[in-house]
Amino acid sequence: MSSFFQLIQNENMKIYRKGANRIMVLMLLGLIIAGGLIIKFSGPDNTDAHKGNWKQELVQDNKDMEKQLKEMPAQSQTYFKKEIAINKYRIAHNLPPAQGENIWGFVKDMIGLIMVISIFTIIVVGTSISSEFNWGTIKLLLIRPVSRTSVIFAKYISSLMFAIGMLILLGIVSWLVGGILFGFADISQPFLQYTDGKVTETSWVMYVLKQYGLNCVQLIMMATLAGAIAAIFRNGALSIGLTIFLMMAGSTITAFLAKYDWVKYVLFANMDLSQYLNGTPLNDDMTLGFSVIVLVVYYVIFMIFGWLFFTKRDIAA
Amino acid sequence: MQQHQMLNKPDGTEQPAVKLEDVKKVIGGKPIIKGLSFDIYPGEVFGFLGPNGAGKTTTIRMIVGLMRITEGNIYIHGKSVKSHFKDAIRHVGAIVENPEMYKFLTGYQNLIHYSRMVKDISRERINDIVELVGLKDRINDKVKTYSLGMRQRLGLAQALLHSPSVLILDEPTNGLDPAGIREIRHYIRRLAEEEGLAVIVSSHLLSEMELMCDRIGIIQNGKLVGVQNVHDFVQGDSQRPIRFSVDDGDQAAQIIRETLDFEVINHDNDIVEIQLDTEQIPIVVEILVEKGIKLYGIISAAKTLEDKFLEVTGGRDIV
Repeated sequence: MSSFFQLIQNENMKIYRKGANRIMVLMLLGLIIAGGLIIKFSGPDNTDAHKGNWKQELVQDNKDMEKQLKEMPAQSQTYFKKEIAINKYRIAHNLPPAQGENIWGFVKDMIGLIMVISIFTIIVVGTSISSEFNWGTIKLLLIRPVSRTSVIFAKYISSLMFAIGMLILLGIVSWLVGGILFGFADISQPFLQYTDGKVTETSWVMYVLKQYGLNCVQLIMMATLAGAIAAIFRNGALSIGLTIFLMMAGSTITAFLAKYDWVKYVLFANMDLSQYLNGTPLNDDMTLGFSVIVLVVYYVIFMIFGWLFFTKRDIAA
Repeated sequence: MQQHQMLNKPDGTEQPAVKLEDVKKVIGGKPIIKGLSFDIYPGEVFGFLGPNGAGKTTTIRMIVGLMRITEGNIYIHGKSVKSHFKDAIRHVGAIVENPEMYKFLTGYQNLIHYSRMVKDISRERINDIVELVGLKDRINDKVKTYSLGMRQRLGLAQALLHSPSVLILDEPTNGLDPAGIREIRHYIRRLAEEEGLAVIVSSHLLSEMELMCDRIGIIQNGKLVGVQNVHDFVQGDSQRPIRFSVDDGDQAAQIIRETLDFEVINHDNDIVEIQLDTEQIPIVVEILVEKGIKLYGIISAAKTLEDKFLEVTGGRDIV
């Protein structure tokens, strides 16, 4: 009997030998570099002209914001309160704000590319399962002394490994590109975090890792959904198309259903865990624990359905 | 017709390599396979024959575990495909329909892929197999550059990689040129005769089956119409039924029975059918003429496999 590790090796070989998947890796690198160049050459000039009097500028900014704050409805005040608090902290602790973009600001901007990695992962997991059926190779794959369960799990795990690799690549490359384009001078700058009206200093690395982790929730849920749909319908286009559509339309669907009480049980309402860390949750009776439970329930349902259909259904095509 | 020596006659003393026990398959409420039972023994090439839609592919897919068995059971070396799939399938190498491989991988990478799914296959074993199927020069090229014949060879290589004792081949000569067909045929015969493999072959080329198989099972409408020895089936060079057209068949039959020790198979008004060697025909002619029977014609009633096949399956009854 072959070990599970060797099945993963097989799946990895199929992922990385395929031209389309290699292009995805290149696309991610291209997007980071292009993003860096666009910010570098279109953003405000990175001159040191105001370096001396940044404190006065922040004081002025705060005055403007406080003025606006008075005319604002209560829900939209959070952002301004946060900005004011952070500015005050900077003045008090002598921490000048970044002039234009800096290395950590760029890494933070590039967190948005995790969405792209999610889409790539959906494509990888969807095709990894469905193309075996399209090509007919499933017939030679499943007549080995290996259980169908280990075959599908090898596919799932190798796809998640692809996602992890892409995330590491995103982190390292965006840090390097940020450093090369905007200088490594601000590396040791702390990240100012605003929670419950208080500003605290943490490291940028911790902040970025936390953001990656929060974004991974959506990545894992959507990749699992894509795998389940591919295993159930054995159709790559359906699996990839439907999952990407749901991912894109998820927030719209949630907003549309927000008037109903049961919206809190909808997957998309629970996928953004950052709503509990900064800002207000969608629904008052939603807590972090509640969302985690809802996510686990959806995850288990996806896994069971995908697994059942893959292991129990006849290979008839 | 080549002479095939059956190493292992199915005489019930040996354990079958593959055993089907009243296997049934229902798809969507419709019975597709209606109770198949047959045994295949080590060292024999078993031909699986039937018109399109008869259930050949479904049966093969049930043997290799791609399809669930609705009722009954299939055993490979005594292990049930249903309950001990891994232990059963370990002995099996197969090509199910076309040998579809990963086209973006090289032939060698494809074989590495399948070798990782079984225990202990050395690089030497892979190289040996590559040489054996004659793909040595092209094994490091991507499969998408292969001809159908080369893919067929690669398919055979993956099926033989783990030295199976049961080989299942769906249309193995499909897409091969005549030289390739001959080669594969000889190779299959050799695997059965020298290495004692049980080989199950399905083919629509009846002449191919005649040359390759020891026994042939005919399946129609999900039922086994008959399992027969190829020799009995087609009648070789020895005794075969000879049909004499005469004016009085009954009398002719009586004469033969009284004077000669030949077996009269069949007779009526104007024919008599006798089991004969070629050399025995003149003797019968002589006797019949001597006894005043008018002889109008002599036909060798040996059937080709195709005749027999059409006869057994009813010829037109393709459902």
